[in-house]
Amino acid sequence: MMLRTFSNLCAQSQACFRSARAKSTLSAVIDETGKSGLILKSVSTDIFENLALEDWIHDHVDLQNRSMLFLWSNAPAVVIGRHQNPWQECNLQVMRQKGIPLARRRSGGGTVFHDLGNVNLTFFTSKKNYDRHRNLQVVTSALKGLRPDMDVRATERFDILLNGQHKISGTAAKLGRTAAYHHCTLLCSADRALLSAVLKPTCQGIKSNATQSVPSPVKNLLDEDPTLDCDTIMDSVASQYNTEFGFSSPVTLVDPSDELSLPGIQRMARELLAWEWTFGRTPKFSICTTFELKNDTSICNATLNMDIKNGIIESCDIEVPSDWLPVELSREFSLHLIGGKLCPYQTSVIAAELLRTIPQNKELERKMYNLCRRVVFMM
Amino acid sequence: MAMRVAFRCLTANFSPVLIQRSRPVQISASRLLWKANPAQSLSTASRLSTALKFTDKHEWVRVEGGIGTVGISKFAQEALGDVVYCGLPEVGQKLEQMEEFGALESVKAASELYSPLTGEVTEINTELAVNPGLVNKSCYEVGWLIKMTIDNPAELDGLMDDCSYEKFIKSLDE
Repeated sequence: MMLRTFSNLCAQSQACFRSARAKSTLSAVIDETGKSGLILKSVSTDIFENLALEDWIHDHVDLQNRSMLFLWSNAPAVVIGRHQNPWQECNLQVMRQKGIPLARRRSGGGTVFHDLGNVNLTFFTSKKNYDRHRNLQVVTSALKGLRPDMDVRATERFDILLNGQHKISGTAAKLGRTAAYHHCTLLCSADRALLSAVLKPTCQGIKSNATQSVPSPVKNLLDEDPTLDCDTIMDSVASQYNTEFGFSSPVTLVDPSDELSLPGIQRMARELLAWEWTFGRTPKFSICTTFELKNDTSICNATLNMDIKNGIIESCDIEVPSDWLPVELSREFSLHLIGGKLCPYQTSVIAAELLRTIPQNKELERKMYNLCRRVVFMM
Repeated sequence: MAMRVAFRCLTANFSPVLIQRSRPVQISASRLLWKANPAQSLSTASRLSTALKFTDKHEWVRVEGGIGTVGISKFAQEALGDVVYCGLPEVGQKLEQMEEFGALESVKAASELYSPLTGEVTEINTELAVNPGLVNKSCYEVGWLIKMTIDNPAELDGLMDDCSYEKFIKSLDE
């Protein structure tokens, strides 16, 4: 598969060379090629840059009479669906410890773990030509082209199963004004231990109408056949895409941080990175949970009730037995949390302030510290 | 049935100013048509039939007492499939015409919603949080999405009426 960089494509396209004015954006170059099918591959492994590129293509490229395939993979990240609740879907503590970012995509569907062993495929079309079955057929045919005996099948839910049992691909989609995109993952050689660790939610007692993931047992294609690596698979899918749709497109490399070719993309990436989008767009939910508080001499059960809207704590009631901790302290803590983000960093700052106000009493201090730590842990 | 269609097509020529002057419509268009005095039926039908206006993104807006109720059309809800989540804006949010104001998630995809008019959101249908399927079951009645003020009534002129929208849908199949 011939690989070209975006600048090569530009130089080789005569029309583009003639009009080498300041405004040779990606969409202009694409229009000038006159091609009805294009394959792009990202040089970035940053989830936010790549999601922003999807949005950019969707918004700026004329997809009425054209289709595009976008190939990308990311450094470790957890990606939730548009209307999901991250506290319900993943282990935010482990993610923070390991520096794994949370991203919220604009398409629907469930939560997935990305790393460099996972290939992402985005099929851009007009709304009229939106056809997930056909797109997944490209993927399964590409895999069978590499290994004719492989049992890979798309299901009604648009998952792809290996040997009828293990999920190797999940699908999500977005329908916009006139265009649509369907993207799917493909597990080649992902870190399955890390995947299991981050997709295990730790926050208990959540009541929410957010869309929920359907957990499935997964497997890597590499487990099935050690010669199937990401690059081989991406090449095969690109080739099959051309065959299926009658295109003859080489794979063109794109840099999603290139503001000149993709004007406005950096703002789009910033929007996707912002807390207001990743956490703040969580549908309204409540947490109602009981937890244990221990110290050297005693144990008790405390309850926490919170209502959260747009990621902000709207109401909070933390109840601790009065013989374990003075009621004023837990009440003070509850009151200070209201109006703040459901965020461990903010909550730790509030807790630290409160702890400073406690009169010199080591036991009380330790109990209060335990309570604060337990509440922060939930976030 | 044929008479109703004839009335609806006639209304394409009526100025939208008629809607502004009429008193707010409380009950559904079809019921009022049958109950109306035959002598008055033409003007009543014209007021009611122009009440539903459509965008080319398959949203509808019904104007009642200066407030627009917005939803998606039967064509749209059929294309969407079963709605599992309605992502709606906040009350008080200001919307420009054609601005994206939310999304409906179905098993098919997350489909963005585009404001048919410029105005401010006055109410959102909280029933949809518990029962998003209402959008499929009753897209013109209890499955409405938002209510909003109409800051620029002239925008209604640019929207399609019943007749034009039916023609528009047919043209999509071609």
